[in-house]
Amino acid sequence: MRQVEGWRRPLGLAGVVALAGLGVFAVLALGAALGLWAAGFEGAVAREHLSPGPGAWLGTDALGRDLLARTIQGARVSLAVGGGAALGLVAIGGVLGAFAGLRGGWIDRLLAGLCDALAAIPPVVTLLGAALLLRPGLATAIAAIALTQWHGVFRSVRAEAQRMRSADHDRAARAMGAGTWHRIRWHLLPRLRPLLVTSLVLCFVYAVKVEAVLAYFGASAQTLPSWGRLLAETGSELARGIWWPTAAASVPLALLVLCAQVLADRLGEGEPRG
Amino acid sequence: MWIRRLLVAAATLALVSALVFLVVDALADRAALDLGRGASPEALAARRHLLGLDRPIVTRLFEHVASAMSFELGESARLGVPVVTLLRRAAGPTLAYALPGFLLATIVALLAGVAAARRRGLVDRVLLVVSTLLMSCSSVIVVVLGQYLLAHRMRWFPVLGWPLAGDPRPLLGFVLLPALLWALIQLGPDLRHYRAIFVRELAAPHVEGLRARGLGERRVVLRVLRGAAAPVLARVSARLPQLVLGSVVVEHVFNIPGLGALLVAAVRDADLAVVQGVAFCLAAATIAGQALCDLAVYLLDPRTRAPAEAGR
Repeated sequence: MRQVEGWRRPLGLAGVVALAGLGVFAVLALGAALGLWAAGFEGAVAREHLSPGPGAWLGTDALGRDLLARTIQGARVSLAVGGGAALGLVAIGGVLGAFAGLRGGWIDRLLAGLCDALAAIPPVVTLLGAALLLRPGLATAIAAIALTQWHGVFRSVRAEAQRMRSADHDRAARAMGAGTWHRIRWHLLPRLRPLLVTSLVLCFVYAVKVEAVLAYFGASAQTLPSWGRLLAETGSELARGIWWPTAAASVPLALLVLCAQVLADRLGEGEPRG
Repeated sequence: MWIRRLLVAAATLALVSALVFLVVDALADRAALDLGRGASPEALAARRHLLGLDRPIVTRLFEHVASAMSFELGESARLGVPVVTLLRRAAGPTLAYALPGFLLATIVALLAGVAAARRRGLVDRVLLVVSTLLMSCSSVIVVVLGQYLLAHRMRWFPVLGWPLAGDPRPLLGFVLLPALLWALIQLGPDLRHYRAIFVRELAAPHVEGLRARGLGERRVVLRVLRGAAAPVLARVSARLPQLVLGSVVVEHVFNIPGLGALLVAAVRDADLAVVQGVAFCLAAATIAGQALCDLAVYLLDPRTRAPAEAGR
């Protein structure tokens, strides 16, 4: 019951602020996707390397493009990869973990082995390799993260499912002939909900950070500007005193991750973490 | 028990190489990658025959796994050098900065974790805020800003570079900043993890017992440190995939000829053999390291020995 209470507990001031911050990012990205604002991110609006001021609030980049528009468009990429990959990760890891934990036997052993094998390869190798094998892009980044990085969720869900197997209510359900899917839906899922919500947010954080690294190496979205690519393009200009492109990319990236991280902390407080 | 552990490790490694082979085989056409986009169908078929790609997949799978397990990883298509040679050459620079960085991060995180867990108050709050802020900064931000501030602005370190063979400049100067930034990237999550471990360990009943018997705080902490060996080493072994590769961003920004740079170059040149070799060798290093961590826990923590001797 303790976990259910934890789920109902209010988020606190920090949690609410973090949630609102995420909401602002979501609105910015949605509006940019619908073309409401930040539409002119591709053409030059002023001379190159214009410092922040009226006209171009965040200045312009090396090609004279408006950095404010490019930064807002970048939110689209980060949120799409973060959200999509987090949903995929939790779905794949959750279903496989629940199945392995509840079934046991050779399925469990096979899936656990697969999970160990995937976890042994450094994520960057898998993800850059995926960008080479498929075409680099937004969908590739989401699919590659979701399909290869589910081992963390898998392990925690599997452990919880194994714990449930020895519980009385599950033994009763099995005795009444409940199938694995029924047990997952009606017994395991309610029990796992707080864990899944927290790991959804944590996976979001992970995916956003990974996307920044991928974009830095040009293996993420190709047409849309993204914060990681902006950092790659502008990191070397810092030494020449042109600080605003780097700031325009790194401040929103850090803020987005910070909001999600604080939210995950508030959601996961008091839970045993492994 | 140890033979079983070794067999599991070998099986996992074989599974890694099979997985990598199947995924690469399903998604990429080596012949097309070698010949480029404009190749004629006849040339492609001839190339496939030359590479042995027209044989049944099961045969090739077993061949690939067998040769990978004996560390015959083929040749780089672009450089014509065996992949193993490339990996050996790149491992040195990566370890030169990744290992000190990893040790620095682990030691600082352990000390800070103990401090935060013992003094729940201002110290704990400050450390929590610091670690959250560090965690929020993507590694790209840490590296780009760190290079700018510490090398360009302060001029404490060389901006980038790596001494090649015969270069009289000492290696240390070039290693320091990458190692420091690499430590900074890992510090945030590690600190929180270790804090959580020590909060749990310090609340254990036997710690009260030690204090009640009049043991000094210092010795209590030492005991707790040893008691926490298992979870701490579990964390280290979970970190291993990152340790052995180092940071691709650090290597890119500082121009270090390490494994990350090798990987990035191989991806850029579509050099599949090298990418496969990097994946396989790093997985091998990770799995071997995890086995060593298990051994260390077995030696350090008597609790893990007792049931094994009684039961199995």
